[in-house]
Amino acid sequence: MVILREGICPGINEEFIKALQSEDIKTVEDFVSCNPEELAQKCSLSYKALVAVRRVLLAQYTAFPVSGADLYEELLSATAILSTGNPSLDKLLDSGLYTGEITELTGSPGSGKTQVCFSVAVNISHQLKQTVFYIDTKSGMCANRLLQMLQTKTPNMEEQMEALQKIKVFRVFDVFSLLACLQHLRSNDLQKASIGGGSVKALMVDSVSAVLSSMLGGKQNEGMSLLMQVAGELKMIAKDFNIAVLVTNHVTRDGNGHLKAGLGQSWSHVPRTRVLLQRVEDAETSSLRTATLTKSSRQACHLVEEFDLCHWSEEKRTSISGKRKLEERSKP
Amino acid sequence: MQRTVPSLPLAPSVKVKLINAGFQVASDLIDMRPLQLCKEAGISQEEAVEVLQMLRDDGQPHQQRAATESLTALDLLHQEQALGSIVTFCSALDDALGGGVPVGKTTEICGAPGVGKTQLCMQLAVDVQIPVCFGGLGGKALYIDTEGSFLVQRVVDMAEAVVQHCTLLAEDTEQRQALEELTVEKILSSLFLVRCHDYVELLAEVYLLPDFLSEHPEVRLVVIDSIAFPFRHDFEDLSQRTRLLNGLAQQLIQLATQHSLAVVLTNQMTTRVSNGQSKLVPALGESWGHAATQRLILHWEGLRRLASLYKSPSQMEATIQYQITLQGFRDAPDEPRPTPASSAVSCPSGNHSKRPRMEDLS
Repeated sequence: MVILREGICPGINEEFIKALQSEDIKTVEDFVSCNPEELAQKCSLSYKALVAVRRVLLAQYTAFPVSGADLYEELLSATAILSTGNPSLDKLLDSGLYTGEITELTGSPGSGKTQVCFSVAVNISHQLKQTVFYIDTKSGMCANRLLQMLQTKTPNMEEQMEALQKIKVFRVFDVFSLLACLQHLRSNDLQKASIGGGSVKALMVDSVSAVLSSMLGGKQNEGMSLLMQVAGELKMIAKDFNIAVLVTNHVTRDGNGHLKAGLGQSWSHVPRTRVLLQRVEDAETSSLRTATLTKSSRQACHLVEEFDLCHWSEEKRTSISGKRKLEERSKP
Repeated sequence: MQRTVPSLPLAPSVKVKLINAGFQVASDLIDMRPLQLCKEAGISQEEAVEVLQMLRDDGQPHQQRAATESLTALDLLHQEQALGSIVTFCSALDDALGGGVPVGKTTEICGAPGVGKTQLCMQLAVDVQIPVCFGGLGGKALYIDTEGSFLVQRVVDMAEAVVQHCTLLAEDTEQRQALEELTVEKILSSLFLVRCHDYVELLAEVYLLPDFLSEHPEVRLVVIDSIAFPFRHDFEDLSQRTRLLNGLAQQLIQLATQHSLAVVLTNQMTTRVSNGQSKLVPALGESWGHAATQRLILHWEGLRRLASLYKSPSQMEATIQYQITLQGFRDAPDEPRPTPASSAVSCPSGNHSKRPRMEDLS
């Protein structure tokens, strides 16, 4: 719904708008759905002027269809696949995070969601030399840990600092600030970035449930609308700027005590791929995790891969004590 | 900055009327006068004034910066190095936590009754006041007590031990000067105590915290002992409890980041029965587990007290032993200081989701 204002089209001036308002026509939709002949009679405006304005408004505001072949060409040229830095996770995600899509990580506290986000950010900023936007809602961002991960990839200090500079962190703590941040990114920063030098290839939101879960449920009627607005913004950013969006979500238990992802059914349709991270029970090293694919449009669901959180600090571990080295070598 | 009207922090009824009148983006509204807006949208005059006030505040640099300012990870690294952490006087725990309880994050301490949560909180409230030249933060502390377990005499014991410890350490003149000011009376007078009797008082206190913290910018630690107690008894609607707790957690994290303080929360334990086995898990539900940035679980193993770091964004999981003495929270006597790597290897079960209690019960 766009309000009729002076200047959105040549030929619309104040008297024009006032005359239309007296007939209760305030928006472009109202205007184009009216019959110009009747309108010319009621408002005492010239028929020619009305038809001309109508044509311009229709040209400006209608959506045009695109052929499937064009869409496919666009997809082939614009989509990129970003590796997560861990081969088992890449296998699970069909070689990595796809741009233009939303991927979701969910899991119990301490299951490694933030660590996976860190590793993806470090991989993209260091290997691929692209900028990463990281929206942190829980103050879980720890630059020290990023530095640790970078130190296992390269001993060169300058490279580490350069990679750290490519990761931009936004700290927001409630849903309205999150929406403001996303809308600002869409209208300003991303445009600048795609024109200028380093392009942005990934956006991470950790976590989206921390800001939304307190707004849903009970007698609050705004929660769903805000959830859908966040979903809409993330999807628009992913599609328009060819960015891979990674979000984290919490888990709750359903009636039978099984784990399920938070934020309910409506949110479950938003991400294209969903991965559930869990600790491995009875493991000798407490850093093993399993990743289960719970929703995917490319692979069979319920694929499970095991990976080690220490993968991203392996070399550092082996240098601490000789005992560790033997254990790493004996692992398959 | 193009903000859509549905995303503005206004009352839902006002937003519905604005959208029905055709306003889609904030820039449509920003040039209007209250009376004009009142007539076009059909809202009352006060609501119109409120809407325009909010839009104008939003355009101001401070608010805008909060939502759109980004730091690069490099800036964040420098900031983190400057922030520091609060020592616990148990060197094994300090190593496991990476220096101590971090400033700018929320830490949750869970444990069965009597294992030492309140002792650790009181120790932290004293330790935050250690002067900067001794390696501390030199800040004040706010202690929100919901259970009534705060004992001043115990804090006096701990404070005396800290002063004695610093006296032994003092080497140069700067340290000796700072030591003259560090007395038990000063430590007690820099500790603010609030007593909350139910969850409404607790929520109100957290809402009032930003004003309190602006008046007392030297506060570096906020302890809530415990956050579980007011929410566990007498709460019929569990989903409302989850919502309130999540909202509370986000407010606390916002305070921790904006005012550079450490927030420490204490939680209780509850039993979960699954597959015919019972396990001790932290209380307040599954989604509360996601609320705090770091989680420390204190538990018994026979007669030993152990602390496990269960969830942390930067530290590896570790279990260490500690003890409570007359002077407060300290290292366990016999155990030599374990390094974080070998403690993860040598700890008994290596698996932190199985609590030692379960072996006693099963």
